Amino acid sequence: KRARRPKPCSLRELELTVSELGLGYDSDETLLLRYCSGKCLEHRQNYDLTMDHMVRTGFKKKGRKDKVSNGPCCRPIAYEKQFSFQDNKHLHHTVRNMSAKNCGCV
Amino acid sequence: AEKNCNPCLDAAKACNLNNSCKRQRSAYIATCSKEDTNKGEVCSQKRCHKALRQFLDRVPPEFSHRLLFCPCQSEGCAERRRQTIVPECSYKDKEKPNCLEHRRVCRQDSLCRSRLADYMVNCEVTPQTVSTCPNQDNHQACLASYARLIGTEMTPNYVDNSFSNWTVSPWCSCKGSGNQEEECSNFLREFTDNTCLRNAIQAFGYGLDNMQNK
Repeated sequence: KRARRPKPCSLRELELTVSELGLGYDSDETLLLRYCSGKCLEHRQNYDLTMDHMVRTGFKKKGRKDKVSNGPCCRPIAYEKQFSFQDNKHLHHTVRNMSAKNCGCV
Repeated sequence: AEKNCNPCLDAAKACNLNNSCKRQRSAYIATCSKEDTNKGEVCSQKRCHKALRQFLDRVPPEFSHRLLFCPCQSEGCAERRRQTIVPECSYKDKEKPNCLEHRRVCRQDSLCRSRLADYMVNCEVTPQTVSTCPNQDNHQACLASYARLIGTEMTPNYVDNSFSNWTVSPWCSCKGSGNQEEECSNFLREFTDNTCLRNAIQAFGYGLDNMQNK
């Protein structure tokens, strides 16, 4: 049985209502939420390999308890500027930088 | 229950799932609901009108007309429809002018003048025939001309949240018309009591229902 290859960092989509965003708005309008998910294994630098080692053994030997991320993270590198909608009380709202436009390993 | 049957909510969904429609709609809503801090006004009506015209110019009618003419069977739906153009900014004004004065202001602007003339032609009621709209009952031309008035001085809108007995009107009245009372009410009735426009809007909803049933 082959090991499953992890999916690389990419933009994903999910259809949901504004109420489901958890931002405190009550609106049944449906939108497409875009977000970033996946692995960034191929983007590791010597810095990341070193940090991986340091967190496991190196820091302890030197008396440090620092927590350091040991690899790049899959995060938005650009956001959709704004999204406007009408809530269930017929008021209009605009939220900024709520949905991802592009993803990157940073 | 209403959540399950709100054609205006469906129209918003269709728009939000289309990148261009979503962007253009967000642009006009953000502009029209933004307070004009310089002048202490509710908003900048000029900017709001421009954003609305851009939305209607750039977004195909399959999205924009669906938002404007969604066929409502409840007050909640009709209120959502009425709020589509952010009327607090784009429609209402501090004072309600006389409609002839309102028309005079519109005619001073070349864009408003030509679009109003367009509306008068395409939504003209033709009493001599069985059909209600000009050119073999061209409902589409009437709806397009109506939509093109949005974002001009003569911006029309639904006057309230009634769904069974709705009325559209520009923001004006015939109070204080003096001896021009008849001319004023004839002009206003081109919006409030127009069989061609009424049938076109109702047929739009009917057409959508048919498409969904297929």
